[in-house]
Order: sequence, then C-alpha cells, then structure tokens
Amino acid sequence: MQRALSRSFVRPAPDVVIGIGLALAFAAVPFAAPSAYVLSFLLTIFMYGALAGSWNIIGGYAGYLSFGHAAFFGLGAYTTALLLFYFGWLPFLTLPLAGGVAALFAALIGYPCLRLRGPYFSLVTLILGLAMYALVLNLPFTQGATGLFLPFLKVDVYTSHVIFYEIMLALLVIVTAVLRQITRTKMGVGLAAIREDEDAAGTLGVNATRLKLQAFMLSAFLTGLVGGVYSYYKSYLDPSFVFATSISITIVLMALFGGRLTWYGPLVGAMTLSVVNEALTTQAPPQTARIVFGALLIGVIMFLPDGLMSIVQRHLPAFILRRAPPPNQTSGQVADPPPNQTSGRV
Amino acid sequence: MFYELAQSLTSGLLIGSALAVLSVGFSMAWGITHVLNVAHCAFAVLAAYLGYWSLAWWGIDPLLALPLMLPLFFLLGVVMHALLIRTTARRTHDLGLATMVLTFGLGVVMENGMQLAWTPDPRVLKTAYSSLTFSVGPIIVQAPHLIAFGLATLTIGALYLFTERTFMGKAVRAVWQQPMGAALSGINLDQVTTIAYGLAVATAAVGGVAMSLLYTFDPATHLSWLVYVFLVVILGGVGSILGSALAGLIIGLIIGASSVFVPLAWNNLALFGLLIILLLLRPQGLLQR
Repeated sequence: MQRALSRSFVRPAPDVVIGIGLALAFAAVPFAAPSAYVLSFLLTIFMYGALAGSWNIIGGYAGYLSFGHAAFFGLGAYTTALLLFYFGWLPFLTLPLAGGVAALFAALIGYPCLRLRGPYFSLVTLILGLAMYALVLNLPFTQGATGLFLPFLKVDVYTSHVIFYEIMLALLVIVTAVLRQITRTKMGVGLAAIREDEDAAGTLGVNATRLKLQAFMLSAFLTGLVGGVYSYYKSYLDPSFVFATSISITIVLMALFGGRLTWYGPLVGAMTLSVVNEALTTQAPPQTARIVFGALLIGVIMFLPDGLMSIVQRHLPAFILRRAPPPNQTSGQVADPPPNQTSGRV
Repeated sequence: MFYELAQSLTSGLLIGSALAVLSVGFSMAWGITHVLNVAHCAFAVLAAYLGYWSLAWWGIDPLLALPLMLPLFFLLGVVMHALLIRTTARRTHDLGLATMVLTFGLGVVMENGMQLAWTPDPRVLKTAYSSLTFSVGPIIVQAPHLIAFGLATLTIGALYLFTERTFMGKAVRAVWQQPMGAALSGINLDQVTTIAYGLAVATAAVGGVAMSLLYTFDPATHLSWLVYVFLVVILGGVGSILGSALAGLIIGLIIGASSVFVPLAWNNLALFGLLIILLLLRPQGLLQR
C-alpha cells in the first residue's frame, strides 16, 4: 500500500489524470457563459453524483443498502438553513456542522441499526427516513410544512448560480476522491470483506462493527454536506422535498445503475440517469419518467446486478484502470459464492 | 374518557383486522420464498381501484367484484414470480435485498401507471352501506369496519386451514421450515413457491378492498400502507399466518389507543418509533417462538 502511494506521486494513475482533467474542464464551463438552465442542470448532476457516491460507501462497499439517506440530506439542509435563519450564520461557514449533525445522527442510529443485516437494515433505514420527515414536519422551530425562506446571496442571480455550481462540483470531486481512496486502503478491503461474508471477515480480524459505523458516519457526513449546500442554493426548503423517500430511492437507483462495486460507478449512474430523467421530464409527464425509472431499476437488478460499469469495464482499454483494480472488484469476481440454497429455491 | 377509549379500541381492533389481511400475504411470501415484495401494497391499491371502478362504472359492489379479482391477482402473482423473481434468483446470492430493490421498481411503475390512468386524486369508496352503523351498548360500530373484519377473518381462516389441512398447504409449510428436507421428500419447490406467491398477491387484493372500505386511497397510498405491513409482519414474525393475524389486531389496538392519547400529527411518528424499536430489539418478531 505504502509503495503504491509513493509511486502515485511520481507518476499519477491514468484514472486520476482523467478525473482531474474532467473536473477542471467542468470548472471552466461557467467561463463560456452558458444559460442558467445548463448550469442548474449540471449542478443537479453533480449533486446526485455526490449523493450516490456518498451512499456508495455504506451501500456499495459495505453492502448495507440504506433506503433512508434522505434523512442525512435533509438534516444537513436544515442545519445550515436554521443557523442562517435564526442566527444569520453563513451556510458556507456552517457547512461542516451540517455534515457533523448528519454524522452524529448516523452514529446514534447506526450503532443499533447496523447490527441488522440484509433487508432488515434496509427496512429500518427506510422507516427512519419516513420518521425524520414526520418529525421535522411537526417540530415548532422548523415551521413545518410552510417551510423556510432563506435570504439570497448578495450577488446577481447568474453569479450566484455560478458560485453554487463551483461549490457543488468541488463537493463531487471531494466525494469521488474519498470514494477512490477508500478502495485502496485497509478500510476498503475490510468493507469488501464485510460485504462478501461478514462472519468470515470477523474471524479474520476485521472489526466489522467499528468499520461499518465509520463507513456509515462518513457516508452521512458527505451526504449532509451536500444537503447543506443544497438548501442555500434553493433558498427555500420544506420537509416534503428534502426528506422525500424519492430522494433516497433515486440515490440507491443511481448507484446500483452505475455499479456499486466501483468508485466511478455511482458517478456514471448519476450522470446517465440524470440525463435520462431530464430528457424524459421535458418530453412527457413526470409519471412516465418515473415509470421508465422503475423499469430501469427492474432491468438492472435482473440483468446487470453489478451495474452498467460491469459492461463498460470489459470494453475499456485496460491501461486506464490497470493501476487501480478496486480490491472489492477482484474479490467480487473471485470469491463470488455460487447461488446458494435460498436462490435455488425460487 | 373511558367511553371514548372503548370506542376507539373497538374501531382500532376492526381496523387491525384489515391490516392483518393486508399483511398476511407479504409475510408468507417473505417467509417461504425469501422475497420481500415491496410492491405488495401496490397490488392492494390496484385491487382497491378495481373495486372502486366496478362500483362507479357498472354498479357492482366491490365485495361482489372481489371473487372475480382473486383469480386475476393469483395469476398476477404467478406471472410476476415467473417473469421477474425467478430470473433474479438465478443471478443473485442475496435474494432478499435484490428482490426488495426489484419490487421497489415494480412499485414505482405500478404507482405511476395508476396515476397516469386514474389521476393522483384521492378516492373515497361510497357504497350503500358506507354510513350504516350499529350500536352495541354505548359503542357505535360502522358497517364497513365490520365488513372488513369479516373479510379478514374469512381470508385468514381459509389460509390457515389451507396450510394446516391440505397436502399442498402442508408442503408450503414444509418449504418454509426446511426447504432442503422438503425437496428431499419429493416436494416440488418451484410449484410450491409459485402457489405461495399467487396466494400472497391474491390476499393483497382482499387487503386492498378491505382497506378501501376504511380509508381514502390514491396511487401513492401504497407506501403508507406498506409501513403498517412492515409493522405487522415484524411484530408477528416473518412467515407466520396466525402471528400476522394477532399482530394486526395488536397494531389496531395501538392505533386506536394512540388516537386518544397522542395528538393526531404525532400518531405516525409514534408508530414509526415503535417499528424501529421492534426491529432493533426483536427483528425475528415478538410472537415468533
């Protein structure tokens, strides 16, 4: 591991070069003065990319599918919004608090919930997401369903779009870097081991309880950051959007669609599905778009359980990803157990 | 206060029976086939709509339309199993999670399909007996509540007799308890899971019609019904028919009691809290051995 790190200072890996190049290119987009529509569309892609990436730490790497990530998103959003609303503190400064509150909440619920496995964990996170919505709706200081109106940035609308665009891009880059880094550390290997066989991982000295909690908190922290920026960007928030189950589901769908075993899968999934969604919603009623979304989800689970990237990987020039075979990827291919009794039964 | 409590507990109990019949199929499918059909309540809402339209278009009462719906929903369950679940099962080694995501997709498709077809407007079933009431002593019982209770008792009773008394039912139970052993003693696993699946979706139809007698519904309602189903199934133990029945009644009583003691807005939150505590303390179910 140490050697891999020091070598990468000398000659950066091809995927890092490509990633930095893409990030710089997107960062330069506002100089071409595109329309506000293009900017906000790209911002949405970045946001979902960052959310799906954050989700992937616990949902993809560790295999604990959280269906309640909107709770962390909403908590982050409300943290910065309430601090701005009541104390006038600038969200860009209180952003770490947004992540911190989400991570704290993740620690509180994660400690008991992460003992549950498989569908039970998914169920309890789904219910927690719904519960958070009901809670925030009824708390007196959040103004419930009326929502909070936040002051705008003191610049013109277009400049404020550009500012939020760059910030969201930066968040996406941070999340992606964290996601990639995890795959090449002991944490990534440990999480992959937990995903493949938690009991066996435990006997081999992986502290599963601690590792899962760390992954869950990190995931929540990053999700909370995104939420914190989002509320200021929208300058209005109400619980029915930021705590919506549909956000949780969209995040899961994007990560699964792109491929949850890799660090770039969720990003690709978020991009693809955002474009599909935008194309559909401008052409057809929103219900049609959601029907296509649901059908895509069914198709991916049935025919591409490892996501879109599992096809792309086979056809991509090998040198791009040669240096970074994510440990989980290889273990997924080598140690994939044959379909067991449960599946043979149905 | 005492009178008010007795009144809400009575209607809570009857509502609970509807929740029980809504949940029993979900519990059975989860127990026997290890499939979490999150779209279960979407099927229930579909049945509620079919009942609503049969009354609105042809004047046929939902209760009369229900016997016609049952074979249709049984078939839907069989088709869903054959087309979606079996293919997924061959490719995954974590069937519970995979089917949960899969049926989530199905639920989204069904919900939005129904929205496109019948608009997202909430519907209220207005039957001839909607406003009929009986009084038992000082307590008033509404006819739709009583009918829902009857439907639930009939369905769960029939399901229970099926699993206890018939060969096929015993095979279903055998597969639930010990699939390998069941297969070794000559039970056709594929056939049994297919039948269990058909039955599960058929009971969803009964549950949907029962719920439509009690509550307004719209395509998105299936998610809130699903929360009740989770609650009942977790409390009753996955795969247990009598457990679901008992748990449904208990949840009904809790709903009834909380409508007296807890402000309306916090009702749902109380239920969520209860479910989370249950999941954490006893994920295998309170009533499970």
